[in-house]
Amino acid sequence: MLTLVRIVDGAARAIRLIHHRLGTSAGRPMSIQHPQTCSHIEHSYKSGDPVTLDVEGQPVTARIGDTLAAALMSAGIAGLRETAGGERRGVFCGMGVCNECLVSVDGRQSQRACMIKVSGPHTVRRQAFQVLLPAQASGAAPILASDLAVRTPDLLVIGGGAGGLAAATVAAGAGLDVVLVDERAMPGGQFFKQPGAAHRFADAIAIDRQVAEGRARIERARRAGVEILSGADAWGAFAPMTVGVTTGAQSLLFRPSRLVVATGAYERGVPVPGWTLPGVMTTGAAQTLLKTDGVLPGRRVLVSGNGPLNLQVALELARAGADVAAVAELAPRPGIARAGALLGLTASALDVAWQGADMLLELYRRRIPVLYGQGLTRIEQADGSLVASLGERRFEIDAVLMGYGFLPSNELLRALGCRHDFDAARGHLVTWRTDDCETSVSGIHAVGDCCGLGGARAAADEGVIAGWAVARALGRPVDHKNLSAARARLVRHRRFQTALWQLFAAPRLHAERAEPDTIVCRCEEVTLGAVEAALSDGLPSIGEVKRRTRLGMGRCQGRYCAPVLAALLAERQGRPIDALAFFAPRVPARPVSISDLVRTGAPR
Amino acid sequence: MIGERRVPAEIGTVIVGGGIVGMCLAWFLAEEGHDVAVVDDGRHAGTIANAGGLHVQLQSRFMRLYPEMVPEFERTLPFYPRAVRHWQALASRLDEDIGLAVTGGLMVAESREQYEFLEKKCRREQQLGLEVEMLDRAALDRIAPYFADSIVGAELCATEGKVNPLLANQAIRRKALAAGVAHCTETRVTGLAQTSGGFAVETTRGPMRTGRIVIAAGAGAAELAAHLGLKVPARAEPLHMNITEATEPLIHHMVQHADRQITMKQLAAGMVVIGGGWPATLAGAAEHPTVELDSLIGSLSLAQHVIPRIGSLRLIRTWAGVNTSVDGRPVVGPVSGISGLFFAIPGDAGYTLGPLTARLVAHSILGRTPEMAIGEHTADRFNS
Ligand SMILES: Cc1cc2nc3c(=O)[nH]c(=O)nc-3n(C[C@H](O)[C@H](O)[C@H](O)COP(=O)(O)OP(=O)(O)OC[C@H]3O[C@@H](n4cnc5c(N)ncnc54)[C@H](O)[C@@H]3O)c2cc1C
Ligand SMILES: Cc1cc2nc3c(=O)[nH]c(=O)nc-3n(C[C@H](O)[C@H](O)[C@H](O)COP(=O)(O)OP(=O)(O)OC[C@H]3O[C@@H](n4cnc5c(N)ncnc54)[C@H](O)[C@@H]3O)c2cc1C
Ligand code: FES
Repeated sequence: MLTLVRIVDGAARAIRLIHHRLGTSAGRPMSIQHPQTCSHIEHSYKSGDPVTLDVEGQPVTARIGDTLAAALMSAGIAGLRETAGGERRGVFCGMGVCNECLVSVDGRQSQRACMIKVSGPHTVRRQAFQVLLPAQASGAAPILASDLAVRTPDLLVIGGGAGGLAAATVAAGAGLDVVLVDERAMPGGQFFKQPGAAHRFADAIAIDRQVAEGRARIERARRAGVEILSGADAWGAFAPMTVGVTTGAQSLLFRPSRLVVATGAYERGVPVPGWTLPGVMTTGAAQTLLKTDGVLPGRRVLVSGNGPLNLQVALELARAGADVAAVAELAPRPGIARAGALLGLTASALDVAWQGADMLLELYRRRIPVLYGQGLTRIEQADGSLVASLGERRFEIDAVLMGYGFLPSNELLRALGCRHDFDAARGHLVTWRTDDCETSVSGIHAVGDCCGLGGARAAADEGVIAGWAVARALGRPVDHKNLSAARARLVRHRRFQTALWQLFAAPRLHAERAEPDTIVCRCEEVTLGAVEAALSDGLPSIGEVKRRTRLGMGRCQGRYCAPVLAALLAERQGRPIDALAFFAPRVPARPVSISDLVRTGAPR
Repeated sequence: MIGERRVPAEIGTVIVGGGIVGMCLAWFLAEEGHDVAVVDDGRHAGTIANAGGLHVQLQSRFMRLYPEMVPEFERTLPFYPRAVRHWQALASRLDEDIGLAVTGGLMVAESREQYEFLEKKCRREQQLGLEVEMLDRAALDRIAPYFADSIVGAELCATEGKVNPLLANQAIRRKALAAGVAHCTETRVTGLAQTSGGFAVETTRGPMRTGRIVIAAGAGAAELAAHLGLKVPARAEPLHMNITEATEPLIHHMVQHADRQITMKQLAAGMVVIGGGWPATLAGAAEHPTVELDSLIGSLSLAQHVIPRIGSLRLIRTWAGVNTSVDGRPVVGPVSGISGLFFAIPGDAGYTLGPLTARLVAHSILGRTPEMAIGEHTADRFNS
């Protein structure tokens, strides 16, 4: 019965997808006629209502609450932002980090389609490299930072995922005055992401459970008294303890007594020829499109990379009706040797092995090959589709997913001077923390994936631990039972993660698959050849390579290319990969508009 | 491998500091057949962090703040138009485009009183030979139709402009290397002493002996001078910069304000660079140049106040860099009593002055008559 529901659901979606690709609107009524006149009646829309967008002059049917990226993608519009070199880019990260999905919405430029929820019959335009300016504007009177509104809660939490919500809930429950800021339209973070339009899930039951748990956690935080500011960007952090936040309506400065940073992680980028083509995206981006909007990244999909997320997403896509050509897994086929490595961790390892076996079995039943020890070597544009190569094997598909592991979003922590050490095994900087999740800077805690990937469960328990640490520091009683239960669970979660990654251990790719004309820095379109030329001219420092090539100077702040360059420098020059090898974190952590930054929110 | 590199043990000329002045000077000397090493620790160079504005006209804000200094300012004024001509000459000798554009600079006034001050300044500058003129609002709108309603007019200096430092620094470095300069990067000079035949130089990558030493070390000059018992009051002045996403061509001039701390220009690729001398800090033991919140908000707020249309642009990057501040004037040429020692520190707007400063010092080293009298601008003024 369950399977049947899934198949029917999947088939319906596949049909909808195909209709959209053919440019029809799958029979949806076009209820709204004139985009310009509608902003004032937005409130009359309900989540899930159909609405017609004007996309480059063409009508596109979407649903209120969908992300704009999903709406565009289901209409077959993959190419969005235009680069300086004239290329089109599409959704890549699906989570607000890469800035590749920029479009202009109702005249506002540089909106991230993946972060915007459809709220009316918007006018959507593709955006050139040089963004347009309004014909007229009136500036605001000059202000100083001291004119901005200052908030001084007991605790500020940055990030509303599993970790941030837990920390905020515990601290507020202990009687503290807590504000949580999150850049998304809804809290929940990556794992407990809340869908926009209801009832359009691929794997309705399983996902509903996850969504429902997230909703309950958000509800619990609200009930505990946490003030949640959604759509709020923490754009900069300044030592000792100031955080700049823009809400769109106001530019705020937070000077809390304590700070919990819970900004999560994003997916590593691996430059391969063709990885900048629209239709090539991270595995997480495809998962988000599917889970929150019920949209497939394409009909025929190739999944590649390293780690369990790829297997899981391949299955989720297949269940939703996608034709998954294969899963290319960099790690070698699990064998006796690695099973042996897991023996010491029996309980967790069994769990992993069991879940893994389950997924593999279903992939097998669905005839989706898992190709071990293989990675993407090239992606090319073909007539209306993509051709992806794994060495000699070629696949004609609509979308390529790349999931090569995660990198922590630790830029605010680094800007605040919190100590970080390079972890060679994980290939990234790891935040130094005490058992209470306090960083090297007293009063600043860090929880969850922003300290290194640990999973949603670990993030939540770290949040609980940090929440109680903050309560204790501010003189509130601690529920020791609750705290030690969290500590005990955390040990198990960490063991589980360790087992998982041992099972999927694979060589980490940096620029090995790139060719001289492959782009390494997506924002500034810097090729491997240009980087190599800079590297071979003297023994330049990382800053000097950056200045020579412009690598890392774009909107994403070097999040994808800096680790690649750090690895290249280490290899060529024997430089240690340490905190200094990554670029010094710079404000803004996210691109923010000048007007938003200087908006006092008060009448002048 | 970076750890194993050593400096040359013996070389004719050592230039300490590989900023715009040091690299130009190294190139000019190497072209004349000298063997030259540039030793640079690359830590605090203004050259790698600056905004690329080619400044000529006097800063009315400083004239109003420090009226007693105006004669000093006027003394160095002739350097600036000449410095821009040196940039133009230099650009024509480089193999790549460096984004040099002498499209003029506007200093805008927001009140009658500011406008009248600019008018007086303009007349004085005309007497001193600058190409400047006053524009009322209507005339301003004809060449720059984007200012806030509050702007009443501007002074236009035709010989101001901009250059892209990222491109220029590379192009100059390539020329210097091609001329045979040894460029010792990530190397710090830790000691300097006179010897019978010249100088002994201690560095973090080994000792050097040389017959001639040039201190082109910006803010590092004070410490280096002290090794030789000299006083040069060069200070590090960390400054803040902002850059936006790229936008359609709008701002063709370099833009400054008669009375407020703001400078704006647009790069050829479309990004708007916003600065104006807002302070930054040197953070921690490593003295890492670090952006300050107050400067970020203050400078961006002024930017959208003067040119409201850029308010919708996104800030994508900020940075802090180290400027060198002495007494507003260059410190150039030889020093009485220590033969073989030269200074090469530009005055205010030191990137503008870089190639000219290098040329003046090169001529002084080569025993030619510099094209401008530098006698009153040597380090002797601090060491009498
Ligand atoms: C793409 C992706 C897919 C994943 N898929 C799965 C899966 O299928 N199964 C599974 O078990 N685990 C999955 N994970 C892992 C799991 O989601 C995480 O372990 C978990 O969400 C960690 O919780 P967190 O609180 O640390 O961070 P997150 O849940 O990532 O929350 C961080 C929040 O902070 C916000 N934020 C970040 N920076 C700022 C800022 N400067 N200002 C304002 N807000 C900010 C983010 O937008 C986000 O909402 C996935 C992770 C990612 C990144
Ligand atoms: C943010 C900012 C914006 C600016 N904008 C402009 C502008 O628009 N227009 C303009 O004309 N000017 C501008 N300036 C000023 C300009 O950048 C500087 O005046 C100019 O670059 C100075 O060049 P320099 O070669 O004299 O010194 P620097 O570029 O400072 O170079 C000196 C070098 O010497 C090195 N050094 C010092 N001590 C030692 C030692 N002991 N051993 C080895 N090496 C040493 C330093 O690390 C550095 O690399 C700006 C400056 C800043 C910081
Ligand atoms: S896809 Fe929207 S920011 Fe990356």
